[in-house]
Amino acid sequence: MTPSQPASRAYFEDVQTGVPLETPAMTLTETHAALFASLTTARPGEAGAIPDLLPLCLSSGLGWRVPQPPLVVLAFMGFEWRFLKPTRVGDTIRSVSKTVAKRSMKEGGVVVEERSILNQHGEVVQSGRLTLLVAKRPAA
Amino acid sequence: MSAYPAVYFEDIPVGEEYASPGRTVTEADVVIFAGLSGDYNVLHTDAEHMKASQFGERIAHGLLGLSIQQGLLDRVVTAQVTGPLAAVKWKFKGPIKIGDTIHVEARVTAKRDGEQPGWGVVTVARRVVNQRGEVVQEGETDHLVGRRPA
Repeated sequence: MTPSQPASRAYFEDVQTGVPLETPAMTLTETHAALFASLTTARPGEAGAIPDLLPLCLSSGLGWRVPQPPLVVLAFMGFEWRFLKPTRVGDTIRSVSKTVAKRSMKEGGVVVEERSILNQHGEVVQSGRLTLLVAKRPAA
Repeated sequence: MSAYPAVYFEDIPVGEEYASPGRTVTEADVVIFAGLSGDYNVLHTDAEHMKASQFGERIAHGLLGLSIQQGLLDRVVTAQVTGPLAAVKWKFKGPIKIGDTIHVEARVTAKRDGEQPGWGVVTVARRVVNQRGEVVQEGETDHLVGRRPA
């Protein structure tokens, strides 16, 4: 372990399936939409629209704000995602996730996470499954 | 209101192909995306830690690559072809390193009726290719496209 790696990290062995985890919430603002649009050069939407991919991007950061130690993710392998309802400036989103499958590999392990993004009314606006390659606990 | 003629679901040919311009992914892109998304994973933010990793250096967030390719493709396709997203299936096949130049190759692979009347769904297969010709990301996006009014 290098000095830059915090001591409290969760490894493949620590991952429990079926345990739901809810993040804090975050209000979507004009600033989020403008920063995202300037970064991606995506086509501007109508006034007040939030780009479709932005809530998904924000949900990965929300996942770092739970009390549990962060998972040592070696690589994001892929995902399948559905966009169920548009979000708008002023909506407040949070993410609820759980591990639905884990598979040990030679180097690390594969973790499949089911994630839903909810708005302030409790409606699921986006949801899907993400596949992550997670580190195994280093030998002591 | 658009200065371009309207394109409807009926007008989009299956098999149509697009190639985007390239874009060099910079350190600034990665730093801004970390700040915007709140994803400060060491993979993207800790140069010293990453020296010892299989990648040897910081890599761009996978979702940054996804977001950039969306913008790149938007520059070469008619707005309606890549309208509101209905679904994405995506694989991150290799790293995008700081300084890599990526472009998108895309093709309309399918069209089907939408769940709501007045809308169709267009499927676009996409490959994100780096300056060495390696496919670093690939997948399919489904887009809602309005039908021609009767």
